[in-house]
Amino acid sequence: MQRTALAGQLLFVGAVLAGWEAVSQWRWVDPSLLPPFSAVIQILWVFLRDGAFLADLQVTGVEVLTAFVIAAPLAISTGFLLGEKLHWGEVVNPVIHVVLAVPQSIFLPIFILAFGIGFLEKVIFGITHAYFVIVVNTVAAVRAIPAPLVVAARSFGATPVQIYTRIYLPAMLPLVVTGLRLGMIFNIIGVLLAEMYASRHGIGRLIFSWGEAFQIRELLAGILLVSVATIALNEVMRLWEARVGRWRSATLGS
Amino acid sequence: MARHVIEVRGLTKTYSPHRAPVRALDRVSFTVDEGQFVTLVGPSGGGKSTLLLILAGLVESTTGEVWVDGEQVRGPVPEKIGIVFQDATLLPWKTALANVEFPLDLRHVPRGVRRERALALLEMVGLQDFADRYPHELSGGMRQRVAIARGLVQDPRIVLMDEPFGALDEQTRTKMGQELLRIWEKTRKTIFFITHSLTEAIYLSDVVLVMSPRPGRILDVMPVDLPRPRRFEMMGSEAFGQARNRIWKLITEGEG
Ligand SMILES: Nc1ncnc2c1ncn2[C@@H]1O[C@H](COP(=O)(O)OP(=O)(O)OP(=O)(O)O)[C@@H](O)[C@H]1O
Ligand SMILES: [Mg+2]
Repeated sequence: MQRTALAGQLLFVGAVLAGWEAVSQWRWVDPSLLPPFSAVIQILWVFLRDGAFLADLQVTGVEVLTAFVIAAPLAISTGFLLGEKLHWGEVVNPVIHVVLAVPQSIFLPIFILAFGIGFLEKVIFGITHAYFVIVVNTVAAVRAIPAPLVVAARSFGATPVQIYTRIYLPAMLPLVVTGLRLGMIFNIIGVLLAEMYASRHGIGRLIFSWGEAFQIRELLAGILLVSVATIALNEVMRLWEARVGRWRSATLGS
Repeated sequence: MARHVIEVRGLTKTYSPHRAPVRALDRVSFTVDEGQFVTLVGPSGGGKSTLLLILAGLVESTTGEVWVDGEQVRGPVPEKIGIVFQDATLLPWKTALANVEFPLDLRHVPRGVRRERALALLEMVGLQDFADRYPHELSGGMRQRVAIARGLVQDPRIVLMDEPFGALDEQTRTKMGQELLRIWEKTRKTIFFITHSLTEAIYLSDVVLVMSPRPGRILDVMPVDLPRPRRFEMMGSEAFGQARNRIWKLITEGEG
């Protein structure tokens, strides 16, 4: 059943790509506005062997990874403290939810004023994008720890460390991983946005400049590459999420 | 005279004394002999669970003391006391077998040893074929039996059970009661059992402790003079009916 669903989805994607190829090849749409899929793949193939392009790709990759590696532990510890220390959470949590409603993109000019244009600014913009979602999910994860399980573990002689590693950790993991996945998406949004707005390097800057120069073929190749990469990353994290959360969805009956 | 494995002296418990204080227990004293099956009955909210948590060292009493096996209880004593909680409280991310092993796992008992022990207990509660199932794949009664196996896994001398059959239908409940008696007769542990059901209390125990409405006091310590092994037909006997009436009167009078 799952297999046929996957086959159907692949078929759908294939049909869309074939349709794209057809309308462009048969000139139902001006190919300078929508070059055929095959031409986009061709240029993408050239890019992937082009050192300068790969260097740009690497810059973005390093920014995204650096931001994530810093944001994740920072946000998880914040969320844990806010969830555990109820009286802090009562003050801070509503503030975070209010802050989350503000589109962070509008702060970009301030970040540039504060940190200049470059690696640091991109990384910090990525961190601030990832941070709050992960915090909110971690707080929810702490709140979701069933108190009776903690009492039970204590009655079996669990040490405080064992309570954290054997009860807190597995109970929290599903929601924390959800937070990490969303955080990663937000992080990529932040870094690419910062690159497109003002940058000397990175795939975001390339995409933006291709658009400005009306190089549709290159632009579509860049968009395609970023889309495929983020979809793949998201799917891998979703697999992880499903793995650690299997008991949870089964228990909650969803 | 038999040894007292549990000795409770003048227990009083008041919850959160700084806010609106709730007095849950009022000068509770009693003793339990080695190997006895003792049941605690009483109205809802009377303080039964509170008493069990204090016996287990999981909650501190306001005044009074608990002695188990000659030592004063000041915190959890997992090697002496096993607990079966009211709502099973199995870890949902572990299989039935891993749940039963969990208390031993916490104490770093070698894998082979704890597996063997857990499997034997699962077999005792009739769940050997469900060792690899997760809690959500088991029925309520099966989960409860896993919890019973887990309560016994450290081979404690004393087992505390808080309404372990509370969520079950009459038929399953009776069957589980018989199973528990079988286990008890085999292992000769001391069992302290909480229930709302007077029938269950009389059917299972040597002694019934009758508790008043909140704040919980012990109204009576009533020995049950029915022969062992207990059989289902005894529930219709005159002695059974008299015991039932006596507890009923105590509880309803206690309500004032
Ligand atoms: N952690 C707590 N904080 C404050 N009050 C509590 C707490 N636990 C229990 N109480 C109160 O203490 C009283 C006794 O509760 P307890 O759970 O011991 O009753 P019980 O006899 O087990 O009831 P039931 O038969 O319904 O399980 C109740 O009034 C309850 O509200
Ligand atoms: Mg209770």
